[in-house]
Amino acid sequence: MFTHVAILLAAMAAAFALAKLAKLSTELSILAMALVGALAAGQGIPLRHLAEGSVAYLDICLIFVTATLFMNVVKEAGGIDYLVRKVFIRFHKRRAVLLVILMLLMLIPGALTGAGSVSVLVVGGTVALVLRGLGLKDEHVAAMVFLLAGLSAVAPPVNIWAMITTAGTAIPYVGFELPLGIPVLALGLFVTFYYGMRGEARDLGSVLATMPEPPAGMRAWRVGAPFLLLAAFIAVPRIWPFALPTLGLPIGFAASGFLAWALSPRKIDILRLSRETMDQLLPLLGTCIIVGILLQVMTLNGVRGLLSLSIISLPTVAIFLLLPVAMPLSEGILTFGGAAVFGIPLIWTLNSIGLNPVPALSGLSLLWMLGDALPPTALIGRLTVQSTGYAGRYWSFVKSCWLPWLVITLTGTLMVVFSKQLGALVL
Amino acid sequence: MTRLIFAKILAACLFLACLVGGGLEMRGLRTYKESLVKGPGVTGTGRLSDYLPALKGSWGDTNLYFLDSGKPGGTALILGGTHPNEPSSIVAAFVLVEQALPEAGKLIVIPHYNRSGSTATQPMGAYPQFISIKTGWGEQKFRMGDRLANPLDQWPDPEVYVHYPSRQMLSNVDMRNVNRTWPGRADGALAERIGAAAMELIRREKVDFVVDTHGAELLYPVTNCIVAPDQGASIAQLAALDLTATEFEVHVEPSPAKFRGVSHREIADHSEAVPFLLESPDPFLDQPTGPKTEALELDGKDEFLLAAARRGLLFTDYDEKGKSMEERAGRHISVSRQLAAQWSLFNPERIVAFSCPGYAEFVANGLGPYFRDPAAAPEGSVVLE
Repeated sequence: MFTHVAILLAAMAAAFALAKLAKLSTELSILAMALVGALAAGQGIPLRHLAEGSVAYLDICLIFVTATLFMNVVKEAGGIDYLVRKVFIRFHKRRAVLLVILMLLMLIPGALTGAGSVSVLVVGGTVALVLRGLGLKDEHVAAMVFLLAGLSAVAPPVNIWAMITTAGTAIPYVGFELPLGIPVLALGLFVTFYYGMRGEARDLGSVLATMPEPPAGMRAWRVGAPFLLLAAFIAVPRIWPFALPTLGLPIGFAASGFLAWALSPRKIDILRLSRETMDQLLPLLGTCIIVGILLQVMTLNGVRGLLSLSIISLPTVAIFLLLPVAMPLSEGILTFGGAAVFGIPLIWTLNSIGLNPVPALSGLSLLWMLGDALPPTALIGRLTVQSTGYAGRYWSFVKSCWLPWLVITLTGTLMVVFSKQLGALVL
Repeated sequence: MTRLIFAKILAACLFLACLVGGGLEMRGLRTYKESLVKGPGVTGTGRLSDYLPALKGSWGDTNLYFLDSGKPGGTALILGGTHPNEPSSIVAAFVLVEQALPEAGKLIVIPHYNRSGSTATQPMGAYPQFISIKTGWGEQKFRMGDRLANPLDQWPDPEVYVHYPSRQMLSNVDMRNVNRTWPGRADGALAERIGAAAMELIRREKVDFVVDTHGAELLYPVTNCIVAPDQGASIAQLAALDLTATEFEVHVEPSPAKFRGVSHREIADHSEAVPFLLESPDPFLDQPTGPKTEALELDGKDEFLLAAARRGLLFTDYDEKGKSMEERAGRHISVSRQLAAQWSLFNPERIVAFSCPGYAEFVANGLGPYFRDPAAAPEGSVVLE
């Protein structure tokens, strides 16, 4: 079976390479890879498996669509222009305070939803405008937004990688507050000041002159009310979890978007804006759908099992050495699927040698978040480029992450290696 | 025709094919009904909604089978299909309904505790939709479902699942996991209503002990075992000792006090009944396996797992013989029988005893002989599950 599945893996890799050579998009190349994987395994075109895999990330796709539409409505209404001007006028002389506020703004949405993409979509664009006003270079702006969004996904209370792994290993999702919270805050401050103190702040007048004027009639309450409604959708189920039926975050974003549209001082053609939003998101949604299909086929033909076995069969030292590369790569290829394929057996393996799974999983989360900048999916990296308006080469902004990347990698890996000693953090 | 239009037509065709072809296959699983023949031990049937009318008409409602000896004694509840992707529990429950003969007290068997979950497979799991066991009269076919309730019946998931009543935070999808929703909420989501109905059943029928049957990964430390709270630890230990000495290795794991929502914790904390959760090793569930096929589910043979076993990575014995459905379903019945025997020693005024083929018989003869032919069954004794 080993040889057979290894040949399937090679055939899938060759299909991907050929599709890329034929200049097909990343999404179509992954689809080709999945189809070849199924055909070579003698499964023909497995329609049910393709359909089933395609909806694996349906909930995340719905969040992307509704969150982006919400932010686009706020933007079109002039709310972002208004907000950026006010924040900049109020804090431009107190750079450190402003930077910490921006960091918290970035961390909160992802911490509450578990999706760094939500941080990027909801506040990434606004934060980027303020950072530019502080004189940061475009690639540093994108790097800072990406890294803080990634850390927001790691932050408690909701960490999807940890939740997927704990659900699959029957470990309760408890005791993660400090093992996740402490490194996220420490690394968040490092990232914020590493980039934030570099630029030379421009004078207020010239910055304001470059910023678009918000429409007449725009007021703080018009901008704030939709965000308050969204905050209520996120907070109420946690404060009174048994008082209401589960509505889900997409409904929260949709309702907040509707409110922003209703309160807009400008008339907004919502159908046109919805179409533009879908155009903007199509590559990202395509990636999520295709990755689900790929994982389904990899499970069907045994390639997933082979990859999983390869990781856990390594000697412990080799596992530790491989983590900084393998975990980000698995996230880059499979997004959250990496936690299911590698996280579950890895946690069992580490647990069996006496390591504490809670700090270990917290460390792994820090490594997985880095993979959101890596192809073929580059989920948060691509959203960052879209939301911040970064126009440079993609790899330039990724390269400018090198030092924080190294620090986060070291922190994550050491948390896994010394997870037993970090057990005191698990309350 | 430009290349772009051609590509779009191709994509549209593939989408339509998946929608129609894949959809029809999924509908086939959703609507398939298994045939179960009520055996001579069955004295009555009921529905879970009899204990919580709010379940009536939903996909959470399911059949109950009463096997009453007519002799005084206690009551045991045996749950199959809590996680429908662990089908040995469903197979064992079917055999119990078709073959068990109560000798003292009463048995209540639920073959599909999570009926909703048995009607959909898991995205990215690449499961077969059905498994079939050969018999002398044809094949006994079972649905191979998901671990969670079908999203068609309970959706959307919250960002984080807050367990009732402990408020412990669990993975968001666990809100559809009926072994994370004990003791349930009568006005909650479907999985919570299922838990509330089962708790009401336990109270109203004065259930003494509950056996919740499962399959577990071989890479999972809690496998090959009985999970029991303090109240049931001695009974579980004695049952494990007896079985390990006579039939197969099984050990006891304590129910963690901090792990909320699971049957072995919440039933103990919220009722007079003593819960036991049985884990039999199911290779199909492990991540590092070859293709996920019906054969893997039935014979449990896998070369990748064998390699993992040779490297000492598994938490149970594993060799070329695999872990067959016969062994796994047989373990559930033999452990349940043994738990009843030990329970009766500790509680002579609430004896529960029954006979039923189990591990030794299944390993020797296969499972086929223990399923009754629906075509040859007496009128009114066939139930569609």
